[in-house]
Amino acid sequence: MNIVLRELRSNLKSLIIWSGCMATLILIMMMEFEAYYDNPEMAGLLDAMPQALMKAFSIAGPNLTTLIGFVSIASVYFYIMLGIFAVLLGSSIISKEERDKTAEFFLTLPISRTRAISAKLIAAVINCLLLTGVTAAALYSSAAPYNPDQEFLRFFRLLMSALFIIQMIFLSTGMCTAAVIKHYKKSGNYSVYTLLTAYIISVVISMDNKIDFLKYFTPFKYFEAQYIAASGELELKYLIISAVIIIAGFTGTYLIYPKRDLYI
Amino acid sequence: MHAIEFHKLTKYYGKARGIIEVDFNVEEGEIFGFIGPNGAGKSTAIRTILGLIFPTSGSADIFGRDCIKYGPEIRENIGYLPSEVFYYEKMKVIDLLKYSAGFYKKDCTKRLYELADIMELDLKRRIEDLSYGNKKKVGIVQGLLHQPKLIILDEPTSGLDPLMQQKFFDIISEENSKGSTVFFSSHILAEVQELCSRVAIIKEGKIIKLEDIKTLRQDNYKKIVVKGDNLDSSAYRIEGVSEMTGDTRTLNFFYRGDINKLSRIISSQKIEDILIQEPTLEEIFMHYYK
Repeated sequence: MNIVLRELRSNLKSLIIWSGCMATLILIMMMEFEAYYDNPEMAGLLDAMPQALMKAFSIAGPNLTTLIGFVSIASVYFYIMLGIFAVLLGSSIISKEERDKTAEFFLTLPISRTRAISAKLIAAVINCLLLTGVTAAALYSSAAPYNPDQEFLRFFRLLMSALFIIQMIFLSTGMCTAAVIKHYKKSGNYSVYTLLTAYIISVVISMDNKIDFLKYFTPFKYFEAQYIAASGELELKYLIISAVIIIAGFTGTYLIYPKRDLYI
Repeated sequence: MHAIEFHKLTKYYGKARGIIEVDFNVEEGEIFGFIGPNGAGKSTAIRTILGLIFPTSGSADIFGRDCIKYGPEIRENIGYLPSEVFYYEKMKVIDLLKYSAGFYKKDCTKRLYELADIMELDLKRRIEDLSYGNKKKVGIVQGLLHQPKLIILDEPTSGLDPLMQQKFFDIISEENSKGSTVFFSSHILAEVQELCSRVAIIKEGKIIKLEDIKTLRQDNYKKIVVKGDNLDSSAYRIEGVSEMTGDTRTLNFFYRGDINKLSRIISSQKIEDILIQEPTLEEIFMHYYK
């Protein structure tokens, strides 16, 4: 319990900064929406833009003049931002004891490394929940003026759930990377590379649907907002894949970290 | 029961040598010195028995239990002071100490304040604002606040001024007289000699000598430098003098034996200055263990 509290406190500043950024970005974004909302001219303008470009920025498809459509486009950026937060948090929460050389203090206390991981995991999940919460609150309150209907609310709930799942995928990836790779600088870098690779794959897939099978390798494609909006659900197969990745990442952390030499 | 038993403990970092077949026991209740030059493997041995790193082969038991398998339980009774102390920079000293104390099953508050008092530690400051020496003091209090049965010290005196060193040695002696075993790693022979009953000497990862401190004292070499105008080196050709170098103005040599014999020779000559030093560990290695 002590460790959880300490981790929460030590990560508080970063959480506040991220929360502030997310809230600000969402507010600015939704102010922009004012220009699109129920505006047929804007729809016409967007239709005139080249399809490939639209696809690269994943704004091909949804109707930008509706609340769901507009939020759909932003969704991939939510995934990326919160994914980055989670992957960095996951890798640093494990490796920082080595980075700050506090491992010689912390891990010579009468606790097992397994217990240390559990406490850190709890703290990290709480952090992710809070950031998803802030994102949801900011999005909900800035969408309120545009008369959100039942359909939007359902879409919104699913999107936020997906956001949290994506965070868990990257949290487990980050933690497992830090568990496997001894050197803290490398583990941080590899964690971010993984996320960037996943993002690049998702962009490439959008532009070329012949390589659709690559979808499985990028969490950014698991819960596409357009699919959620159209179907009113998260796709089961991707929920299962996500669960597998998350469980594998956490299990890997629990199996590998307690058995490896600390980098001191 | 032995406090620590090393069973052919070996650690390689990849291909790099850490320690090789370290095999000795530390008895309960003794102050055991572990000496060797930098890079000899002292910290490697300590980090292995603390479970920070894992042996390549061999094992070590602490109070009869395997140090890896029963790590958390064993560490309940270990106090560890690393050679360089690092704590969470943003924390206040008192919060850090209380945080640490919270992991032990007994109430450590009283001892915490006693030790902080002896070490004249300012509990309200933040870790990041502390000097190296003050961080070391935090380390001492943190390592000892739960009154551990086994105290492991890795080059504990660096960064402490002589007064604090003395206070620290007093605390260690006191803990020892109350029954704690002390495992004291250092590269300074003199401080080990002062406290310890037995020593192990480690060089390039291997234990080269395990000895009673009394025996070590009897073989005590002194490094001597005599300066004068017209020194006669042949006058110093007595038993126990070795490695004589220098000229008529300066003579360097090592001496082992009755110091009175040497002082008579020195007093028979006109000299300007004399320097009698403890040899460094490297010099001891060169002379004892050729």
